[in-house]
Order: sequence, then structure tokens, then C-alpha cells
Amino acid sequence: MGLLATTMALAACGGSDSSSDTSSSSSNSASKTLVVDAVFSLKSADPAHNYEPTGQIVARALYSTLVTFAGDDLTKVVPDLASSWTTSDDGKTYTFTMNPAAKFTDGTPVTSADVVFSLNRVANVKGNPSFLMDGLTVTAPDATTVVVESATVDSAVLGKLANPSLGILNSAKAKAAGATDAADAATTDTAEQALNAGSMGSGPYTLKSLDLTTEVDFDINPDYWGTTKPTYTKVVLRNVDAAQQKNNVVTGQSQLALDLSPDQVKDISGGEVVSNSVASQYTFYLFTNANPEINQWTSNRDFEDAIRYGIDYASLLELAGEGSRQAAGMIPVQLAGALPDSDAIKRDVDKAKASLAASGYDGSPVQVSYPSDLTQNGVSFTDMATRIQANLKEVGINVELQGAPITTVLDLARGGKQQIGLWLWGPDFPDASNYLAFGPGGVVGGKRVNWQPGSDPAIEALMAKALETTDEAERISVYQDYQRELNKGPVMSLIQPAQVFLSASSLKGLTYNLVWTVNLGELS
Amino acid sequence: MVSFIGRRLVAGIFLVIGISFVAFILTNLVPGDPAAAALGQRAIEDPGTVAAFRAKYGLDQPLWRQYAIYLGNLVRGDLGISQQTRRPVGADVAKFLPATAELALAAIVISLVVGLSLGIVAAVFRDRFLDQLIRVLSLGGVSVPTFWLALAASVVFSVKLGWLPSTGQLDPGMDRPTDITGMVLIDSLLTGNGETLTSALKHIIMPAVVLAAYTIGMITRFTRASMLEVLGNDYIRAARAKGLPERTVLFRHVLRPALVPIITVTGLALGSLLSGTVLVENIFSWPGMGQYAYKSSLALDLPAVMGVSIVIAVIYVVINLVVDILYSVIDPRIRQS
Repeated sequence: MGLLATTMALAACGGSDSSSDTSSSSSNSASKTLVVDAVFSLKSADPAHNYEPTGQIVARALYSTLVTFAGDDLTKVVPDLASSWTTSDDGKTYTFTMNPAAKFTDGTPVTSADVVFSLNRVANVKGNPSFLMDGLTVTAPDATTVVVESATVDSAVLGKLANPSLGILNSAKAKAAGATDAADAATTDTAEQALNAGSMGSGPYTLKSLDLTTEVDFDINPDYWGTTKPTYTKVVLRNVDAAQQKNNVVTGQSQLALDLSPDQVKDISGGEVVSNSVASQYTFYLFTNANPEINQWTSNRDFEDAIRYGIDYASLLELAGEGSRQAAGMIPVQLAGALPDSDAIKRDVDKAKASLAASGYDGSPVQVSYPSDLTQNGVSFTDMATRIQANLKEVGINVELQGAPITTVLDLARGGKQQIGLWLWGPDFPDASNYLAFGPGGVVGGKRVNWQPGSDPAIEALMAKALETTDEAERISVYQDYQRELNKGPVMSLIQPAQVFLSASSLKGLTYNLVWTVNLGELS
Repeated sequence: MVSFIGRRLVAGIFLVIGISFVAFILTNLVPGDPAAAALGQRAIEDPGTVAAFRAKYGLDQPLWRQYAIYLGNLVRGDLGISQQTRRPVGADVAKFLPATAELALAAIVISLVVGLSLGIVAAVFRDRFLDQLIRVLSLGGVSVPTFWLALAASVVFSVKLGWLPSTGQLDPGMDRPTDITGMVLIDSLLTGNGETLTSALKHIIMPAVVLAAYTIGMITRFTRASMLEVLGNDYIRAARAKGLPERTVLFRHVLRPALVPIITVTGLALGSLLSGTVLVENIFSWPGMGQYAYKSSLALDLPAVMGVSIVIAVIYVVINLVVDILYSVIDPRIRQS
């Protein structure tokens, strides 16, 4: 439902191809170089160790996956290395048939053995994306068939398999470089440095060089087997301070900037440079700790309501700029199961004051802790916390701000010790089930909010039903009901900030995908 | 002289050990979990992944043992493995230090040429318009925040005038010259690669000048003050009374004794430039140690933070040693004492 309305094709209009040639960048006049500026969040080019936003861009360009998404459409999984697949009646077994045309960059065919090796390696190497393989077993009955079995009915399996971190390696080359999929791979796998020096995949580009703090250079895979052939002979992905990214695109030093704020592009009015803003994958949210030992007020349901109705969501949107939107629920609008805008909480100062009075609040300070060093999509957590403090002061809540580096606040959060936490969440995989983390007993709801299992039977029944339901329409309905219940609890969704793209008008094929942000292979 | 250098080197070794201890304690006192920083919000909830991370980087050991192991490795020249890059810290430093050194050296050359010239002119034209103007400019140099200057310079020279690029060390996609020193500018010269030399020169001008702004101001003010102090001496009046040309008086009898404090300042400035490139490197996307140190600090990457601290400490020790040796060359009385 609201999916098509919220995803946005960013195909830019017109312009000469020459504007995307970086003539000064190469001595070869036939070469065509694409320069993309981003603020790096990158730890590895090894799929098994990569799970950061910039890393997903890199992995998507270098490695093919069993299945994938086309452009920005997350509603439909499409073939990649697997040309087709079937699902068993019980919804737990997926059988994939490999595409015989799929080839690694060295010309060898991609086999089911490569798939089994790569996926088992991700599971056993215990890297950041290992959790994607939780509950999944992968086998290869023959050279062209892969069977993925899930321990439980999991509607997210196909979406997980499309994640670039589950990219398929050339197992022969990887093993030669020290890779292993054995159970002790966490201590015996030694292939990461080799994979950071050169890719071993079947994607549209190959890795020329990787510098985790400055630049990643790609060369075209001239024999790419997929249907959309890469356009650029070279791609340079640079780590550039957000303040400089706009200058670089405007002056033609780069063709695409990924980390601008809406304010930075408000004076862009077309011509050789175009900007586009869409709701990003992130949901900013706030929670009140449900454990009275942490704070007697935050665990009070009336106090919760006072905060919920005391926040001025419009003022938060003003802070986040054009293209941002109020989050009606935790699930972002791009995913099936998102709530319509009509469900969004509206500020009601009278209601907030009445709830505050009902709570018996005595005016003692409550602490809002947040990562003060984090700015996402141009929205600073410090600015947002300050505005929330001002909002809540108007209804009579005395908020004390506790900003600290993210590593410090994350420690507090993991211990369930934040009185009020201000955070953001991006989907680990493109499925609404990822947001069950916020319910009682979930990764966030249970461990950080201290919203214990058994404390809210209505919402827990919906969570259980959401996991069991396989009919898509019914699933959407259940997830929406789940969020409506969530909106009455201690987790409060705030906004989805805007993802802004500033690009040369000659750049085509640009779409925003929640999983990998930008597919370099689709840009022309 | 040899025993003097030997004593300073031995003291330097103890200094480095002391710095490693302080850096270790401070990094461990910072609240926060390196595993959380490295693994992210999702993976940190998986006990198996967290345990594997801690075991891999020795974080499951008691602190005293971690430090003892670190010192043992340090003696063998092993700075540990970075939790961010998962490479040896020594290799990372070797990779990033040349770019920072190149930037800092360019900045110090600019600082010396401009700062000494302006300081001499200001001293010669004391209390006249030129002196006042230079004093205002030097005050601006030491007062203007580096990040503001960097952004303003980018807007003017890159966006408005289009003269200089504002990002990176070379044009995007351009191959680096054959690695000899690791410094792109020098390697381009040594290999005779005109295209990369031109590109490298265009890219280094803006960050080097921005980085040098503070040091220019400082050297200008020190040079002026030092020159004025010497100019007031009797022997200068005697030299002038003898009828020596003004140029000879200035450059032979004034500048040389005035250089002693200036060398001190320059030595300290070079050290601070090396360690203070974090902002400039981040704004201009300069692939140096400043960016590496910044990201390592944010990620609580203990081995990398310790490695960078130790390398900077060693550089300071060496620079101070060189400054002391230069003192004795310029003023033999210092050596005799």
C-alpha cells in the first residue's frame, strides 16, 4: 500500500553525457568515470564482515546475491544468481535454481557450492551480518540447486538473501585466500584482507582499491553476465565531509552526493545539478524506560502519554527539512505494513497536561540521553533532543539532556539504563518483522526499554500472529494493528528524515533503495 | 654532542612508554564498549559475535594483561591490529603518515617563507602602516578557526573561482605515482610524472595554506618580536655606526640571533601541524593520519589510538632533538653550556 507513493524514482532528466565524464581523471579518453561522494561508514569489503551503509553500496557493486530488488521496489524480490525459486507449502523451505549464465569475474560459473560456502561462511565467521543467517540452513543437492531451510516460518527470508552481505564469493579463490565456512570460521578465516584487496564476485564492478577512510575505486566488470550492463569504466566512491559534497557536485568534481541535508540543497533549482529528497530508511524514535527502578516517572503510563502528546512533531519536521515526514509508526513508509499518515500521533497539549497531572509527576528532572556525535540525514540528535526538551517544558516536564558519544550511550541502552532514550533505527532487512524488535521482549523493547514479555498480552498476541501469518494482505493488516498498539506504549516513533541526493543532471538510473542506498551498477 | 643525543634518545624511550601508558589508561577510562562501536546495534546483541570479537582483540583479558601484552609487542615493533581496518596498525600508519607528513611539510614551508618575511618587514617598519597591517593579519591567522577558514576557502577558490579542487590528494580515478616515499608530490617529481604532479600540486595548495594560517600568524609575531629585541641591542647600533649596509645588519647581525626562539616555535609548530591535521584532513578528504586517528577515536579502536599517539610522541621527541641540535649550531654558547 503506500509503498509506491513513498518510493521515488530519481531518474534525472536530460543532459549531455559528457558532463559525467571526468576528463581530468583519466589519461584514457575512452574511459568514463563516475565520482560519488559519501560520508563513509565502511569497515570492510568482505561481505561477511560488512554491514554498514557505505559497505552495502560497495558490496552491491561487487557481489551478486541469490535474489535481489530492482531499483527502489522492495515489494518484489527478483532473480539474480537464482533464475527461479519455489517455496514449500509449510513456508519453511526455499528451493532455488541457479542461472547458468551467471559467471564470476574470472569467467568461472557460479555454482550452488559457491552459494553454500558463502552463506555458511557469513554465518560462521561471526561478523556483523551473521545474524541474517540465524535459523537458516543452506544445502546444495546438485550443482544448480540451492535449498534454504528456515527453522520457523520467516517471511523475511527472501529479503535477507537479497542483502549484499550475503553476496556470493568465488569459493575456490576465497578458499585459496584463507576463507573457510567451517564452524570455527570466526577464528580460522583469514580471507578478509584479500577480499579488501580485490573482489571475488560476479557483480557489475570489480574492486580496484579500497581505503576504508578515504576512497574506494572500482573497475568495470566487462564480462558482467547480468541484464543491466554497467556504464562506467571506473567508479570512485570518496569519503567527503558533508559540508564539501555540495561544492563538489556543483563544481563538477563529483556527480553524486549522498549526505546532504535538505537545507543544503534548498537553493538548487535545476540546470546542471538536480536534487531529490525522499523519506530515508531511518525512523527516529524515543522511548521511556518501563523499569520503575530506573525511573519512577518514565515507567508510569500516564507520564508516557504526557510525553507522547507533548511532543510537537511539526517542529521536529521543521528541523529535519523538506522531504522528511512524521513517522506514523516505527515501520518506514517504504515497507509493507507501514501505517498511513492518518494514524500519526498529533500534539495535544491539553491532553498531555491532563495525563501529566494523572501521573502525579512532581517536577523532578528526567534524563533524555542520546548520541550527541551523531547526525543522520542532516538531523543532529543534539538539536532534536533540545527541541524535545523545549516541547516538554511547555507541558510541565522537566527534561535534563544527557548527550554523549554513541559508544557511551549505546552501552547505557544495552544495559537498559536510559531513562528516556532518543535513537534511530534502520531496517536490518526489508521486512516488517524486523520491527518486532520494539515490542515487549524484543531486542529494543525488552533489553533497552525493559518492556518485559508478559507485560502487554494484546500487543504480544499481535506479534505472535504477525510471525505466523503468511497471507500478504493479512500480514500487512496485523503489522498495522501491532503498530497501533505500539503507539500506545513506551516506544514513540518521531520522524523519518529526508534522504537527499544531489546529482549531475546527466546522471540517470538513480533510485533510493533502503538496503543499499544506491546501486552503482544501475547508474548511467 | 654524541652523549647529548644519546641521553635525549634514552629519555625519549621512557617518554614513549609513559605516553603509551597514559593513552592506554585514558582510552580504557572512556565509557563505552569497543565491541559496540565496532559491531553496531544489531550484532552487539549476539553473544557469540561479541565473544568472538573480544577474543580476537584480546578484550576478554584483564586490563593489566592487555597492557603487558601490548608493551611486549611494542618492543618487537608490533603496534597491534586495528579493530576498524583489521590491519596491523603499523601498516596503517605507514600508509597514512606520508600523506600527513607531506601536508604538514608543505604547510611549514609556507609558514616559514611567509611568516619570516612578514615578521622581518613588520620589525623593520615598526609602528608604521605596514607593521600595523601585518600585525592585524597575523592576529587573524592565529584567531580564525581552521574549520571556518577551510570552508570559506573552498567556497571562494573552488566554487566561486573554480581555481582549485577541494577534495582528495589527486583527481578522482587518477593512478598514484610509483610508491617511493609515499608522498604523492615527491613521488610524482621523482618519477617525472607531470600529470600527477600538476594534480597533486593543485590539490595540496588549499589544505596546506589553511593548515599553515595559524603557524604563519605565530611565526610572524615571534619573528617580529625577536627581531625588535635584537634590533635594540648596542652591537646593532655599533654595526650601523660602522656604516655597514642595512641588509648586512639585518640578515647577518639581527636575523641569526633572532632565529633561536623562532626555531623553537617552528619545531613545536611542525609537531602540532602533524598532530593537528584532523580537521583539515576531514574537510578536504585528505587521506592522512588525521582522518585515521579521528575515525579510530570515534570507534574506540584502542590499538589504533595507541599507535597514533606513540607515533606522534616519537615525532615530537625527534623534532625536539633536532631543535636542540639546531640551537647549538646557531648559537655555540648553548652547546658549551
